[in-house]
Amino acid sequence: MRGVELSRSAAVVGAILVTIGLAIFGWKTLVLHLPVLPSPVENLWRVELDIDARGSGSRGSVRAALPDTDQQQEIFDERQTTDRLVFTIRTEKSGQRTGVWSGKFDGVHNLTHAFRVQLSERPLPLPTDLSQQPPPEIAEAYLKASARFPIDAPEVRELLANVAPPNPSDPLGQMRTLLAYVTDEVLTASSGSDDALITLAAGEGSQVGKARLLVALLRAAGFPARIAAGLHLTPTKNGKETVWAEAWLGGQWLSLSPSLGFFGARPADVVLLRSGISTLVEETGVDAMSYRYRILRESLRAEEVASFMVPSNPVLAAISLYRLPVGSQQALRILLVFPIGALIIAVIRNLIGVRTFGTFMPLLISLALRELPLGLGLGLVGSVIVLGVFSRLLLERLQLLLVPRLGVLLCIVVLAITAHSLLGRTYEVKDLFASVLFPVVIMTMLIERFSITTAEEGLPSAVQRLALSTAAAVCVYPIFRIAALEHLMFGFPELVLSVMGVLVWIGGYTGYRLAELWRFRSLARAREDEPT
Amino acid sequence: MSLAGRLRALGVLGINRRNGVYTSRWNEREHYPSVDDKLETKRLLREAGIATAPVLAVARTHSEVRGMLAALDGAASFVIKPAHGAMGNGVMVLLQRDGDWFLRTGGVWLDRRALSYHSESIISGAYALGGQPDVAFAEERLVAHEGFADIATEGVPDVRVVVFRGVPVMAMTRLPTRGSRGRANLHQGAVGVGIELDSGTTNFAVQSGRSVDVHPDTQRAVRARRVPEFERVLEIAVRASDQTELGYVGADVVVDAARGPLVLELNARPGLAIQLANRAGLVPRLEEVDRRVRPDMPWADRLALGRDIAKRARGGALA
Repeated sequence: MRGVELSRSAAVVGAILVTIGLAIFGWKTLVLHLPVLPSPVENLWRVELDIDARGSGSRGSVRAALPDTDQQQEIFDERQTTDRLVFTIRTEKSGQRTGVWSGKFDGVHNLTHAFRVQLSERPLPLPTDLSQQPPPEIAEAYLKASARFPIDAPEVRELLANVAPPNPSDPLGQMRTLLAYVTDEVLTASSGSDDALITLAAGEGSQVGKARLLVALLRAAGFPARIAAGLHLTPTKNGKETVWAEAWLGGQWLSLSPSLGFFGARPADVVLLRSGISTLVEETGVDAMSYRYRILRESLRAEEVASFMVPSNPVLAAISLYRLPVGSQQALRILLVFPIGALIIAVIRNLIGVRTFGTFMPLLISLALRELPLGLGLGLVGSVIVLGVFSRLLLERLQLLLVPRLGVLLCIVVLAITAHSLLGRTYEVKDLFASVLFPVVIMTMLIERFSITTAEEGLPSAVQRLALSTAAAVCVYPIFRIAALEHLMFGFPELVLSVMGVLVWIGGYTGYRLAELWRFRSLARAREDEPT
Repeated sequence: MSLAGRLRALGVLGINRRNGVYTSRWNEREHYPSVDDKLETKRLLREAGIATAPVLAVARTHSEVRGMLAALDGAASFVIKPAHGAMGNGVMVLLQRDGDWFLRTGGVWLDRRALSYHSESIISGAYALGGQPDVAFAEERLVAHEGFADIATEGVPDVRVVVFRGVPVMAMTRLPTRGSRGRANLHQGAVGVGIELDSGTTNFAVQSGRSVDVHPDTQRAVRARRVPEFERVLEIAVRASDQTELGYVGADVVVDAARGPLVLELNARPGLAIQLANRAGLVPRLEEVDRRVRPDMPWADRLALGRDIAKRARGGALA
């Protein structure tokens, strides 16, 4: 029978797969009420501290500052891994918590502590009762001179007198002036000194050096002040530590950052981890230690994340991807979108009938470009291809053997990408190729295929195929940029089964491709012309 | 009726259907090497006593290229091919020589070094289907039968016969043009001319998807011509397909001026443009073959069956 355009086995297998995927999806959304679409949520982050500590059998400990909930940040969903050690939380009198991993360090221990934080964007009102005196324990702890905060040093006193003489009627103004001075007149340099006086003398210091100088100036001016440390959150793999000063006034601590420039409240992308000490992670009795903070921006509200994290169903809880470490989550979020890309490619090739260079080439190009605006990305790929094709023309004269020739082409592609990265820095387009290792091999093969097609079938044919490949890449590109799709596939990985089912359907489809209607149109017309 | 509906009513075969219903069922993967490797095809056919274009020399490794070219010293014109090439890629036709210089189709003179480089590219896999290491070989250059002389330029026309389960179902001749640079490939600009299986005369012609009546280079009529030795062409196409164990084959046959019909190569994934050249769909004929072919039918009976099916299809008895 000619009407059947889908083989029976493909129809059945596809239907089973689609149904299983949709059934699980339906159960999770309709029965368990998991959210299908990400909510418009702001400033919700997941932070994971990842420590590697190496020891040779002796006892020791690793201590990390743990954040607390306050008016500007809400900390929840904390969890840690201990890797053969004992984990305890030590709470100091001030309320500051420290996570302590202790025990015998033998070999490499990987320790993590993860939490979610909802940062507040509401402005913190500045204190009104400015005459209020600090309580004795605060005055005692945060007004005194020390080696770190040399408030009695003549240059500190002199600077205070010159820049911001005491003004009892406007203490906030005096603070702002001090902050402005340290922010603007002292440069921030990662190689700068951590020492307050050296920073002042050099006019350049590290974030710590500048913060210490500011604390010293504040204390000298009579404000209880201390150092504070935390993270500046940007959705990169590694979170940036930042250090600032806190000053007590009118019954509350104000934040003053001479590096990021905030005053009063912390901005909505800074999380406070510890007050009083600038070091976030310390160790004793360990041979070597390294750590980093991984950051992930959440697309779900806190209670929605919780519903994925700890669903009422134990099976679901066991397989929830939200419980994975941040690093794995980042990778999986991209990985799980791939099947959608394969589906689009299958539609383009088998239902529409477009010829592209390489089956999944458009998918991989799109993946590489996902962090860039489309126009810029295509421009980059285009310029690499043009350069490669011209190089290939020159190489042709040398009559090299195939594999070395491809190797030379690959070198040219690598050089072109290197040059673009340098240009990118000059033009301040950051992370030009940083996100993914740019698919140099794919680009090399693309250039080779383009050149061979040009030789075999002529330039118009090669250009047409390249244009169609580009169009396919443009069709696939959005899937890596749509946050809702990423959430959908990550929250409901069972949908991969449904995608598989649809792919099976496409694979079993024996009807015409769209391009064939065009290709064979003359046949249909010829039949019409015939006399009946 | 929709365009798709009309094509379906005509029985036009699409790629998805060809792959999903015909080649996947009748061409088992394990038998592909017998047609994907042209030297292997020639060996198979030679054993069965079917004529193929004579091989002059073979180079399986880079070090054998020098020897292959040396073996060609006596040949005035020949063709260098990859054993695993597809769609005519990597085929270099050399028309005449002057010492160490060779005239390539298209009027370019090449030196020995260029031939050596091309052969080494072939061996490196530049033209192979999967890019795997390949074999280069030189073949005698065939000369078009005089029956084609006025409608073939720069190259040799061939006759493509689609053979399904040992029954010829459709045929066309592919005429090289200046635009196709001597190649007999439709997507490169060759003219495809449909052939009526029962009479051996040409019916319709297409070039680059457009209907034509004359050869674009010579302006001579290509329709209503008798294909020379067509009976014999069909016979060796059918017998060649019998050697492959493939059920759906495109056999490319050349009618050489001196040697008569001989098989150039076989194809396990024959293209669908043959339907445009014949202004007819393949599906009704394929389904009729499924109904009428019997196992152990002698080739002569299958040939007659194919002709009968084609005749009835043209009469509208199948659609």
